[in-house]
Amino acid sequence: MNRLARKALLFAAGLLLLLFFTNNFGLIDIQKTAIVTAIGIDAAEGGRFDVTAQIAVPDASGADTAGNVTVRGTETVGGAVAELNRKTGWFPTLVHCSLILLGENIAKQDVFRALDYFLRSEYVEDSCLVALCEGSAADTLGANSPIGDLASAAIEKVLSAEAQKTGLVCVTNLRDFAKGYFSEGKSGFLPRLSPLQQAKSEGGSGQSVGGQEGGGGKAGGGENVFDASRTALFARGRQVALLETEETLAYNLAVSGTDMAYGDVRLQEGEEEVVYHLKMNIGKKSRRLRLQGGEPVLEFHIRARAQVVDASKAGTRTEIAETAIVPDAVLRAAEARFEEELRAAADKAHAGGCDLFALRQELHRFHPREYEALQGNLLDAVRIVCDIRFETMR
Amino acid sequence: MRKLNVRQICFWLAAVLPLSRLIVYPATLSYRAGGDLLWPALCNLLAEGAAIALLLLLARRTGRTFFGLLRARLGEGAARLAALLLALFLAAAAVLPLLEQRGFVLQILYENVPSFLSFAPLFALLLFACTQSLRALGRAMDVALPLSAVCFPVLLLLALPDADFAALLPLFGRGGKELAAAALHSLPWYTGAPCLLCLIGNFEYENGCAKKVLLAYAAGGAATLAFLAVFCGVFGDIAFLQHNALAQISKYATALTPLGRIDLLFIIALTLVLVIAVCVPVRLCVDCLENAFGGPRALHAALVCALLLGLTVLLDPAFREAQAMLSERMWPLFALFGYALPLLAALLLRERKGRTGIPPGVFAPPRRRRSAPPAVQAGGADRNGRTG
Amino acid sequence: MDTNGTQRQTFGADIRANIRALKEALPAEDILVYEFAAGDGTACAAVYADGITDKELLGGLAARPLAAAPAPKTLDGVRRRLLFPEVKEADDLPAACKEILAGNPALLVDGAKGALVLGTKKVSLRAVAEPQTAIAIKGPREGFIEDVKTNMGLIRRRLKTPALRFVMLEVGRYSRTSVVLAYLDGVADPKAVRAIEARIRAADIDGVPDSSYIARFLARRPHSLFKQSGTTEKPDILCAKMLEGRVAVLTDGSPIALTLPYMLTEDFQSAQDYFVSPYRATVSRILRLFAVLLSVYLPALYVAAQLFRLRLIPFGLLVIISGGIRSISLSPGLEMFFLLAVLEILVEASVRMPKYVALALSVIGALVLGDTAVKAGLVSSPAIIIVAIAGISAYTVPDLTGTLSLVRILFVVAAGSIGPYGIVLLTALLLWYLVSAESCGVPLLAPFAPLVRRDLADALYKADLAALDRRPRSLRGKNRTRLRLRPAQSAPSDGSETKQSAPASGSETKQSAPSGESDLKQNAPSGGSETKQGAEEGPNA
Repeated sequence: MNRLARKALLFAAGLLLLLFFTNNFGLIDIQKTAIVTAIGIDAAEGGRFDVTAQIAVPDASGADTAGNVTVRGTETVGGAVAELNRKTGWFPTLVHCSLILLGENIAKQDVFRALDYFLRSEYVEDSCLVALCEGSAADTLGANSPIGDLASAAIEKVLSAEAQKTGLVCVTNLRDFAKGYFSEGKSGFLPRLSPLQQAKSEGGSGQSVGGQEGGGGKAGGGENVFDASRTALFARGRQVALLETEETLAYNLAVSGTDMAYGDVRLQEGEEEVVYHLKMNIGKKSRRLRLQGGEPVLEFHIRARAQVVDASKAGTRTEIAETAIVPDAVLRAAEARFEEELRAAADKAHAGGCDLFALRQELHRFHPREYEALQGNLLDAVRIVCDIRFETMR
Repeated sequence: MRKLNVRQICFWLAAVLPLSRLIVYPATLSYRAGGDLLWPALCNLLAEGAAIALLLLLARRTGRTFFGLLRARLGEGAARLAALLLALFLAAAAVLPLLEQRGFVLQILYENVPSFLSFAPLFALLLFACTQSLRALGRAMDVALPLSAVCFPVLLLLALPDADFAALLPLFGRGGKELAAAALHSLPWYTGAPCLLCLIGNFEYENGCAKKVLLAYAAGGAATLAFLAVFCGVFGDIAFLQHNALAQISKYATALTPLGRIDLLFIIALTLVLVIAVCVPVRLCVDCLENAFGGPRALHAALVCALLLGLTVLLDPAFREAQAMLSERMWPLFALFGYALPLLAALLLRERKGRTGIPPGVFAPPRRRRSAPPAVQAGGADRNGRTG
Repeated sequence: MDTNGTQRQTFGADIRANIRALKEALPAEDILVYEFAAGDGTACAAVYADGITDKELLGGLAARPLAAAPAPKTLDGVRRRLLFPEVKEADDLPAACKEILAGNPALLVDGAKGALVLGTKKVSLRAVAEPQTAIAIKGPREGFIEDVKTNMGLIRRRLKTPALRFVMLEVGRYSRTSVVLAYLDGVADPKAVRAIEARIRAADIDGVPDSSYIARFLARRPHSLFKQSGTTEKPDILCAKMLEGRVAVLTDGSPIALTLPYMLTEDFQSAQDYFVSPYRATVSRILRLFAVLLSVYLPALYVAAQLFRLRLIPFGLLVIISGGIRSISLSPGLEMFFLLAVLEILVEASVRMPKYVALALSVIGALVLGDTAVKAGLVSSPAIIIVAIAGISAYTVPDLTGTLSLVRILFVVAAGSIGPYGIVLLTALLLWYLVSAESCGVPLLAPFAPLVRRDLADALYKADLAALDRRPRSLRGKNRTRLRLRPAQSAPSDGSETKQSAPASGSETKQSAPSGESDLKQNAPSGGSETKQGAEEGPNA
């Protein structure tokens, strides 16, 4: 090695060691980093934002607790994140931010005023979950979970992929929500979180879930569980409708990745109304937009198997033994119920202008020639045809 | 003894060159062509494939390098001039990959914006690589292939469940003009042919070479198209927001949730392949300068690396403008060196009769076999019954 | 001195003058003269080096026969009288001095011109035992010792073929150390043999205490971080390498034999791989490779992740790490550097410390440096775990441990200063460095770069013995075929014994290194019969 190369190598080694030992690169040490696990955004007055960051604060034993920091009245979400640094002295990192929670009031305006910060930022992954919550996001993030989790962790469990598989929740992430917003349909959906305050018994034990539906107890004060079985529908970034639990289930069973779910079917047997609790396995499902004589027709083709898990009346020995064999009447009632809820979901969505089933996109992709003519009043003009058949699960 | 092996050329075309097109190019193509991004890419791949085929024809007919041929046919001056022009082109061709890699490294491997000192050591590596023989470059391809062959399919497989290939519809939704413009503006990403031109004479044209090389190129092209399709399927209408596509497509795999972003490990391995990829045009640029001016290789390497460092520092804050300049305004230059030059070289510089010992390849004219005279059986008649 | 004052170089017939000349040439006090008389009173003398000469043998086999009868008048007669096999005539005074210093005494007889050298060297040597650096659970347990002749014997015992050649060289102006080249003629690349011999002959040094000095002369890149010759202490491994086409270099005074050409993949191969099932061997090799990667990259990735890319760490683990390092005053990079330095100190001390304090110091190392340091807030538990894993993993490839520990520190420095991209760049730099390195014309990274597919059967994975029928192409040796499978003859139905037909070469040979399966026969390379003329060259690119 000649002398010049040797000197160059020594210089480079020295520089490297200097940089290593001084650590003076502008990089931020982990000890000075605030790991933001969730962001909550509420609308403030004058079109501003209140941004709440839930920061994981590990203690020496490694257990994680959380601290919430709220920045109020900023004009942009990015500005609020920058202000977090000033307020806490820590440098916030959003790489582990896996939940974006939007307050109820922000859904009245175009939510992408807030959300597009995360799309612009190179350091927030668009695989994070997005949800709407009842009340304010700051209060929701401040809720106490009865099982000791951080609020954001508890919410993520409710919105997990496993929850999606049960059909009770419509889970979406920022990427999918953004795809819908920027697609031809300019629509999307978000799960709507309702914090339910747990009822506390006098004995201090045996807590039970309140079972309240919609507009349950406010977060804070006690321990909260989260219900995300309702779904907010969006068109051009604004909330236009709300799907109830049954409608959400029907939508999931028909469209999304749910293949197995539980649901109730009511049947009049004689003088009494019997409620059957069914387990449903979706075997095959498809959704297609076709044009029939210039008229758009949305076809659902669903084949499912059902099994009676429980009934509100006491069954005979034979009925219990043959629980896997579902009576035809129950199957037909299930089909009818499913179709009813699916149509209700579609009607609600289309009435509000939400292209829930991505019809415009499908029209553009598969019928490009008719797209211009039909896309204007597609949601009003589309006719829904359901071909739903349930069979008994043996 | 030749410096490179045909196998290494194949590895470069199949596993290294395609990766350099998967950083910013998919988003750019998506912006210009929307769901029809496969068509401009296919056009460019076919055109580059044709150029490579022409160069293989040239390689088959000569054992000399491109500059050796020029020296023999047009004289020393022409050869030196060509070498200088090619060197300048290769340096220009290396700018965009360097800027892309800078952005890729910045976003994927760091969470806070590091200073340029994080990226500068790349030029020290380039300097070292350029002082080594072409043999080392070839052997680096031997290492790059398994890395690429393992990591790239893993990323694709992780992305597949999230891909909705209907996003590629409708076919030809964008007009022909837009697609043609997209294809022309993509030329800066297709610089394989000029690089291969510089490698001619450095590898032995063996039996079946053309077939192997073109198959390898086709495999690389198929990988590129597959990636573009998956990319479009995963991101749909927000595809053009996704710079650094290679690192973005696999992060939605739900199976990885408990493990975190383990796909980052595969991406880091592919970053190594990207570093090797960017070394190719730079090393060949140094080769061209050696042919143009002679002198020690280290000096040319230092000059080229210093120039590229300067350009990167200058253009890094203006990546969009630099990309626009190279792709939208300088595309004729890339067309000239990428396609016209190989065509001219193949047509004008091939050595004609008198070349012996050329093994038959894909382009070899079919040889006519003389049939043996029919055997004459006992009794004077051959097996066809003819006698005499 | 002769009458002109110049030092005499030859022996005359006068014993006194010869003794004087020898004493002048060898003035050290351990050079003794044993004078005795022959049967007829003729003066005889043996000049020897005390401590390295077998005096009993000298007296019994040399002095006694001469004393029993009149002294012969010629050296030839003296030689016949002695009835001792290792007797040769010293060419001149310097040659006799050299032999005396080697432990072979010079015998002088008055009236007989010249001197005889008797091979009665006796050096205290240790026994052939299992080397500590290459413990084998299965397979031979012999190891080389410091005596080159014994080592040559260990090789000869395993390669009973005329093709086994030894080239004796001498290196060291003062030490005159014997260095022996061993190779199989017709198997090893003659160019490599010549090149190695030339390099050794060109070595001009005072003394050679160990084979590592010879390795330095054989290295093409003397300042390289990576070694450029293979090493082994086991004769079975050495013979196996010679059978693949390598050249062995034995150094007197060193139990470590060198082998060239060297490929990096050799260090990932263990002798054990050839004695166990190929599946187990393949898993072991992959495990070693994984362990090496872990050893080198894990500390660097940990530092890079903490300083630059938190996303690399899963959230749950990040919380634990974050909690663990809250009270640590050092930055992650410095903490890791400190721990690696402590690890190196521990390793160095454990090699040199006396055995009776080893136990106490291990307790200090484990408790103080581990548990107490964490409690004191000097280091964090995750970092200790990382360093422990990295340190232990390196020992899966013992021959590379030193190199790995240096490379590991380089990666930590690169990760701590540049970040994850620094790891990538350093990997690329090492890659370029290694792909351009060669050992006797063989690329260091063969058969991976350049890719030699056939050789991967004993590199990346361990194929069955039947699949390793060819010598590695990367080594550019001659005579590719090393194994031919012949179907075993079935026993006749009448139960009589049959003799298997002898192979064409007329003898059966069994290779000792890989444990033979009884129905496999290997042909010893005979002069030209198996050699393929114009054999395929090794990888060019």
